[in-house]
Amino acid sequence: MSMTIIGITGIIVLLMALFVLGMPVGFVMGIVGFCGFWYAVSFNAAITMVGTDVWNTFSKYGLTVIPLFIFLGYLAFNSGIAERLYAAAYKWVGHWRGGLAIATIGADELFAAICGSNTATAATMGTVALPQMKKYNYDDRLSSGTVVTGGTLGTVMPPSVVMIIIGIQTEQSIIKLFLGGILPAILLGLLFVLTIVFLCWIHPEFGPAGPKTGMKEKIFALTGVIEALTIFVLVIGGLYTGLFTPTEAGAVGVFFALVVILVTGRITWKGFFNSIKETLKISSMVFFLVTGAIIFGRFLAITRLPYMVADYAASLPISPYLVLAVILVIYLVGGCFIDSLGFLVLTIPIFFPVGLALGFDPIWYAIILTMVTTLGAITPPVGVNIYVVKALAPDIELGTIFKSISYFLAACILAIVIIIAFPDIVTVIPNMVR
Amino acid sequence: MDLLFGFTRWTNKALMMVAGCLLVAMIVLACANIFLRLVWIPISGTFELMGYFGAVVTAFALGYTQMSKGHIAVDIVLKTFPQKGQRYIQITNHIICMGFFGIVSWRIARYAGTLWTTGEVTETLGIVYYPFVYCVALGCAVLALVFLADLARLFQPAREGKK
Repeated sequence: MSMTIIGITGIIVLLMALFVLGMPVGFVMGIVGFCGFWYAVSFNAAITMVGTDVWNTFSKYGLTVIPLFIFLGYLAFNSGIAERLYAAAYKWVGHWRGGLAIATIGADELFAAICGSNTATAATMGTVALPQMKKYNYDDRLSSGTVVTGGTLGTVMPPSVVMIIIGIQTEQSIIKLFLGGILPAILLGLLFVLTIVFLCWIHPEFGPAGPKTGMKEKIFALTGVIEALTIFVLVIGGLYTGLFTPTEAGAVGVFFALVVILVTGRITWKGFFNSIKETLKISSMVFFLVTGAIIFGRFLAITRLPYMVADYAASLPISPYLVLAVILVIYLVGGCFIDSLGFLVLTIPIFFPVGLALGFDPIWYAIILTMVTTLGAITPPVGVNIYVVKALAPDIELGTIFKSISYFLAACILAIVIIIAFPDIVTVIPNMVR
Repeated sequence: MDLLFGFTRWTNKALMMVAGCLLVAMIVLACANIFLRLVWIPISGTFELMGYFGAVVTAFALGYTQMSKGHIAVDIVLKTFPQKGQRYIQITNHIICMGFFGIVSWRIARYAGTLWTTGEVTETLGIVYYPFVYCVALGCAVLALVFLADLARLFQPAREGKK
């Protein structure tokens, strides 16, 4: 059997094990990679490779950034920072038509700047914003869609767990990835706001205007932004100036968040221990996802399949952007059926070399993949953000949430198209770093 | 059977506690290193220790994460199968995963044993690091144990039914 056939068989077995056995994505990749390596080389080589890869990956200094940023996100989630961010945004734009939804996006943007997870962002803002929007008679189609899609900012705005994983898997600079995500996240947020304005212009009953607040109250409410902004400036500023490594930036962010939380007394011991427990669970899941992908990547590498696919894609007599469009459609469809993070880790060994062979800037390409991956979190049937909002507001029908997402999906796709047309939106800030 | 379930639950809880303490230690170590680097000299071997602590933190949480079904899986096809079919698939699933993590654990433990006998030390601090390698092997072994407990649980209703 030729190496190419072995590689393709490995992918088919992997997908079958994934869907039919319902085995965790990271484990499937590790097991299929191990068996494939065993078949293609030898049992002894496979067993040595697996043992070495698990230890080497788990003990990698670069990966220690993951638990720290996840912990930062959970501390922010359990500490009431989101309430203060929302209150500030609400005071400034709440009196506009659709103002509460715009405030939700504004608070999402700021919360995402300290939290790297779209689920945590959606859950936090959903808890805070959904009751408020219900109180002011916002239509479920606007309120649920805003919270579900606003959560995607958690992945695009640095710090982002998805970017960390892409950076580690593709050996790209996490600092440059973080910096590259800032302008796309702002663009995405602006497009969400425009969508809300447009929806409320067509259907004024979707988002009735809230009560007005005085300038004094507005100014005072800005204090709610200070702590989140300080953490963001500390983390991103430290990375930008080269003062910290990403891991150290995560630790400093956690330390500052802990100081703020302890001084203000806004977290209980239960909340603190819960943050640690959730951090450990998600970190170990992510670590084994990365480890499984590395083991599977080793198997694919000896079959030379990724390089063959990359060479083939590069030799096609069509525009590289057409190939990119096909890749993005695969991510969009795949993200509907497989958890977006799992799908990303699974496909990077194949699609990242293709992007490089097509001559795309690696940071720009990684940010595009990050953005399209986030869509998996808001597209049915497995879009995790949808179920987060459904759990927070059981009275909202799933059908209503699906419909509400369709309004915002256009904004997400438009953002990706704009970034493809104007790559500088991504590359301008990372290029300033030497 | 209850002994197996109880032992698995207790072991994972204990490992989670150690992992939680090490996570806090990582934060303290990283912050202390930055502070001392700015005002005096950095703490020697911080990067090494952070890597090893990170390995133990995540390896010790593997079993608990599996117990709370925290590892991402795709079950939309599996759920369409009849109950009996799902049960057989889960049995297969657990046996494969248990075998795999058993092998991984054994291999890492063997590597740790080699490091112990050869007296291998870290580059900067010059300390032995085989205990951290053993900890990762233990994390994988406990994950295999969780799969064994899950497997036993699948047989339990049938056993009770016979009674």
